[in-house]
Amino acid sequence: MNKTIIAAALLGLSLAAQAATEAELQASFNPYQNGFPSHPGLSVGTVINQGNVDQFKDVVPDGVYKLLKDGLFEIKVGPTTQFELSSAYVEATRRNLGKARLGPNSGDLEGFEGGRPFVEEPDIEDPRAGEKLAWNYKYGVNWGDGANITPFYWKYRNMATGQLERTIQFSFHFLNLKHRVKDDPVPEVTPNPSNLFRGIYVKVDAPQDLKNTQLLIQRYDDDQKLDDAYLYLGFQRRVRRLATGQTTDAFLGSDLMIEDFEGYNGRISDMKWTYKGTKNVILPMWNHNELALSDEFKDPDGFKYVGFGGQGECFHQGTWQLRKVYVLEAAPVNSAHPVSKRVFYMDAQLGNLNGANEIYDRKGDLWKVFMVGKSHADHHLPINKGSGIGIDDAFSMIDVQARHCTTGHFKGQVDPKQNPPRMFQAQYMRGGD
Amino acid sequence: MRKKRILRPPVFRLAACTAGCALAFAAAAQQLPDLGSSTAPWKVDVYYDNHTAFRGKDHTGERVGLSKFRNTLQLEADKDLGDDWAFRGILRGTWDGVHRMNKGQYGNSAGGAVMLQSTTPGGYIETPHGAGPVNKELVDGLGLTNNAFVSGAGYRNSPNEGLRVLGDRLHDTDGGVAFGVPVRPCDKDKRGCRDFGGYGDRTLSELEAPEFNDRLDFIREAYVRKNFALDDGTDLFLKIGKQQVVWGRTDLFRVLDVINPVDYSRNNIYDELQDIRIPMWMVQAEWRMGPSESMQDRNFQIVWNFDKFRPNNLGQCGSPNAILDAGCFFRGMANLWDNGGTVANFANVAPGTLLATNFGPGQIGLRDVDLPSWSLANTQIGAKFEGITQSGLAFSLNALYYRSQLPSLRGGKRTTNGFTGEYSEHNPYLISFDMHFPRVKLLGGSLDFQSETLGAAFRFEGAMSWGEEFSNTARPGLYSKNRVWRSVIGIDRPTFIPFLNPHRTTLISAQLFWQHIFDHEYYSTGTKNGQNYLGAVGMPDWKDSYIGTLLIKSFMMNDRLSPELIIARDFKARATAIAPAVEWSLTDNLKLSFGGNFKVGTGARRFDDCRACNPWMPFTAPDGDPDPMTPYSRGLAGFEPLGRFRAGPIGSAMYEDEVYFKLRYQF
Repeated sequence: MNKTIIAAALLGLSLAAQAATEAELQASFNPYQNGFPSHPGLSVGTVINQGNVDQFKDVVPDGVYKLLKDGLFEIKVGPTTQFELSSAYVEATRRNLGKARLGPNSGDLEGFEGGRPFVEEPDIEDPRAGEKLAWNYKYGVNWGDGANITPFYWKYRNMATGQLERTIQFSFHFLNLKHRVKDDPVPEVTPNPSNLFRGIYVKVDAPQDLKNTQLLIQRYDDDQKLDDAYLYLGFQRRVRRLATGQTTDAFLGSDLMIEDFEGYNGRISDMKWTYKGTKNVILPMWNHNELALSDEFKDPDGFKYVGFGGQGECFHQGTWQLRKVYVLEAAPVNSAHPVSKRVFYMDAQLGNLNGANEIYDRKGDLWKVFMVGKSHADHHLPINKGSGIGIDDAFSMIDVQARHCTTGHFKGQVDPKQNPPRMFQAQYMRGGD
Repeated sequence: MRKKRILRPPVFRLAACTAGCALAFAAAAQQLPDLGSSTAPWKVDVYYDNHTAFRGKDHTGERVGLSKFRNTLQLEADKDLGDDWAFRGILRGTWDGVHRMNKGQYGNSAGGAVMLQSTTPGGYIETPHGAGPVNKELVDGLGLTNNAFVSGAGYRNSPNEGLRVLGDRLHDTDGGVAFGVPVRPCDKDKRGCRDFGGYGDRTLSELEAPEFNDRLDFIREAYVRKNFALDDGTDLFLKIGKQQVVWGRTDLFRVLDVINPVDYSRNNIYDELQDIRIPMWMVQAEWRMGPSESMQDRNFQIVWNFDKFRPNNLGQCGSPNAILDAGCFFRGMANLWDNGGTVANFANVAPGTLLATNFGPGQIGLRDVDLPSWSLANTQIGAKFEGITQSGLAFSLNALYYRSQLPSLRGGKRTTNGFTGEYSEHNPYLISFDMHFPRVKLLGGSLDFQSETLGAAFRFEGAMSWGEEFSNTARPGLYSKNRVWRSVIGIDRPTFIPFLNPHRTTLISAQLFWQHIFDHEYYSTGTKNGQNYLGAVGMPDWKDSYIGTLLIKSFMMNDRLSPELIIARDFKARATAIAPAVEWSLTDNLKLSFGGNFKVGTGARRFDDCRACNPWMPFTAPDGDPDPMTPYSRGLAGFEPLGRFRAGPIGSAMYEDEVYFKLRYQF
C-alpha cells in the first residue's frame, strides 16, 4: 500500500514535471499564445523616424535607435506574425526535453541530442542563462538541416555619398551534419569521424578579382574545438587553411567578418554570454511577397529581391514588427579580439540572433549595427513553403564609425539537393576551375 | 594477420581506383559531351590588362628604360554541357610593345659591336669580337698549321654587330670568360637561335605576341569536367583538357607544384603562378572518397600529362625577362658552336696572361637540344593522396614521374680540336654541350594545421627528387645526377597593426625554403687531390640553400586599397628582392596596381668556368701546369658561365630594378 502510494506520488511528480516542461516547450515555440505584444502608439503602418523615434525608444534596439535618431532611415511597422518553426524541430525538442545540461565550463553541453536544448524562460538570476540561450542559437533551426542562398549579392556602399563601391555575387550553402531533424539522413550524416556539427560553404561568382574564391567552415560538435576554415583563392588555385584571426577580419573587404555570419558564427566558448533581460522590440520580419520588391538583379526565375533605401541606400525596406526578444550580450574571451561586445536581440520564437545586433569596438564604442530581415517561409519561394524556417531575406550591416555599409540581397532556398555533403569537404573546393 | 587486415584493404582500394579510373576514362570517353547540344547559355568574361614597366641603369651604366608594355586580352568562357558536364575555356592573346618601343634594348637595334677582354701582366686589354689575340695566324706561327682557330680578320658568318658581352648587364668581365651574344630577334639575327623549348628561336612578332605559336598557347585552358556519383556514395571527378594542376601549399616556391612548366619570360618570378604556368593537355581523375570512420576526408588523384613535353620558358636572350640570363648563355653557346666566336681571357699562354681566343665553329658550345618528342613513353604521370585527419590535420602524399623542366647541359661532347684540327666524339671536360631534359622521379608531401595559441596557420611542403642534373666541373661530362630535397615551411598570421587598420588585420606570411643536394661535390682550392690549385671546382649550386620570404599585406578602404610588401632573401647568394606594391580597385571592373621590385646585396658570383679543364691537352693546360696531359679542372674562375647558379634568380637580376603600373579592366 505504502509502496503504491509512493510510486503514485513519484509518478505524479514526474508527470507534473513533464507537463511543466511541455508547457515551457509550448511557450518557447509560441511566445504569443496569449496574444501579440503591443506598445502605445505603435500600430501597423506606423512610420518610425528621426522625428518620433523617442516615442518608441523602449521598443527600438539601441543601435537601431541611434540610426533612426541620426535620420539615416525610417521604419514602417507591420503586423506581428507567427513564425512557426519546423514541426520536426519542435518534435525533436520534445523527444529530448530536459536531456541537455550545461557542463562545468563554458562551451560544455552534455546530454544534448537534438532540437532546442533549453526551452525554459531564461532567469536573470541564473549566471549561465546567457550561455543557455547561446546554445539554443547554435542548435537552433537557423537554415534548417541544409539550405543555400543562391545567388547572394553583397553591395559595399559609402553611406555618406551613396556611392556603390563593389558588388559581390556569392553562393552560400549550409549543412548540418549532426542533430538533423527533418531531411535524410536523420539525425546525422555518416561517417562523421571528426564529429563535425555544421558546414558552411561559400563561393564567389563575381567580380573578376574575387571570382572563384571559396570559403569552407567546418564547425565541430565539440564547442571546445576551434573551427576549421579553408579558403580557396581563384588566382592561387589552391586551398589555404585560414588562421584563427582571419575569422574576425572584414570578409573580402565587406563590413562583415566571418564571425558575423548569421549573427554570430563562432564558438560558444569564445564569448562570455550574459542574459540581460526579456523585452519587446521591433525586428525586421515580414512576408516577402507582400513587400514592394526590387527587380534590379533580373533573376532568370523572376525572383525579386527586397528593396533598399535610406541614407546611401544602406537600409532594407521591409517592414518591422514587435517581437518578444531576449537581450543577450557576448563579450569575447580573447582580449585581442577586435570586438569588445556584441549585443543581440534574440527572437524568442525563432531563436535567431541576427535581427538587430550591435557590435562594439575594442574601445567600447558602437562600431556596427547588423540588421537581418526575415521572411516567413510560406510567403517566399515555393520551395521554402512549409520549411518552418525564418528565411533570411535582406541584411544591412552599418559601420557607424566609417559611415559605410554592406547590404545583403538574398535568394534563400531550403533545398537539400543543392547542398550535398561532398560540398562541405575541402576537396570540393579544388574540383572546380 | 591483423596487420594484413589493416594494410591490405587500402592497397586494394587504391589498385581498384587505378583500375576504376582507367575504366572511368573509357566510360567518360563514351560519355563526352557534345559542346553544341546543350542549350545552357555561355558565360563569357573579357578582360584587358596593361602592364607597363621601366628599368633604371644596368651594370654598364646604360639606362634601360621601358621594359614592358604588355597588353593582354583574355576571354574566359564557361558552359554547362548537360548531364553534369561543364566546359571552361580561357583564350589569351598578348602584345608586348617593348620590342618596338625600346628596340635599342629589346628589338631589332639591340646590341652592337663588342670588345672582349684579355688579361696581361700590364692589365686588361680589349679587342673586338673576331680579333682575339689567339687566332689562326698566331697558332700557325707555333707550327700548328692544321689548327682550326679563326683568323684575326674576324668571322664572316658572325660579324661584330648586334651583340652584347655575355652578362654585361650584371657584371664586368673582370678577367673571366665572356663572349659576344646575339641579342636581336631571330628573324633579324639568326645566330645562336635554337628552340630550347618554346623560346630561343623566336622572331620579333613571336616575341611580341608569344601565345600565337605552334603550340596554340592562345588556348590557355580548355577542358571539360564532371563529377560521377558512384554507387558506394563516393565520387569520381574527371577533368580532361588543357589545364593547370596545382599541388602543394606554398606561395612562390615550386616544391610540389611542378606538374605544369612555368613561363618566366612573361615577368620573371613576379607574376602570379596562375598566369605563368604553362597549361598542358592532361587528364586528372579524383576518387573522392569523403570521410571514413577514421578520417574526415580522403581523396586519391591521378594526373596524366599526355601533352608533348615542354620545359620552363626561361626567356629568350634579348628580351626583358631572361631569368638567370640563361637564355643568353644558351644562345651564346649555340652561336659558338655554329659560327665560333672570340672568348675573352681564355688562353693562358704565360704567367698572368689570359688571351681572348678566336674559336672556330664546331669546337666549343651547344649543339643539340634534345627536346623529347611525343610518345606514350614520354608522357608524365602523377598520383596524390590527400586527406584530413580526425583532428583536422590536412595532408597530402604526392608522387610524380615527369621530366625536368630545367635543362641539363651535358658536356664533354664532340669537337674539332682547335689546335690540331682533329675531330673526336668524346672529350672529357670539354665545354661542348648538348641540352637534355632528364627524367625525374619525385616523392613528396605536404600538410597544414592551425595553432589557436599563436593565431596562425602553418604550412609545410617537402619533396625528394631523383634524376635531376646539375652542372659539376668535377665530372668529365661537366654535370652530375643528384638527389634533391626541397622543402618549405610557412606561417600565415593575421595581425592587428592599428596604425595600418584598427579594425582589420594585416596578413603577415613568412616562408623558409630549403634545398639540399645529396652527394654534392664541391672542392675548395687544392682539395681535389691537389688538382684544383687555381680554385674551387665542383657544383656551383649550393649544397644547402635557403631562401626566406616575408609578405606583409594590409587592407584598407574595404579591401579596395591594398598595400603590400614582399621581401625575398636568398641567404647563400646574399641577395634580397624587395617588392612593394599597391593595388587599388576603383570599381568592380577596374583595378590599378603600382609597384616595383628592387634588389640589394651581392650580384654576380664567381665559379669555376672550366677554362683550365685542359680538354685539348696539352695545348689547353694552364701555363706551368704540373700535369699538362690530363684533362680536369684546375679551378680557374670567373663570373660566367656558372656564377649565375650561385647568384640565383635574385642575385643575377641585381641590375633589373623595375617600377611598374598595371591596369586590369573587365568588359
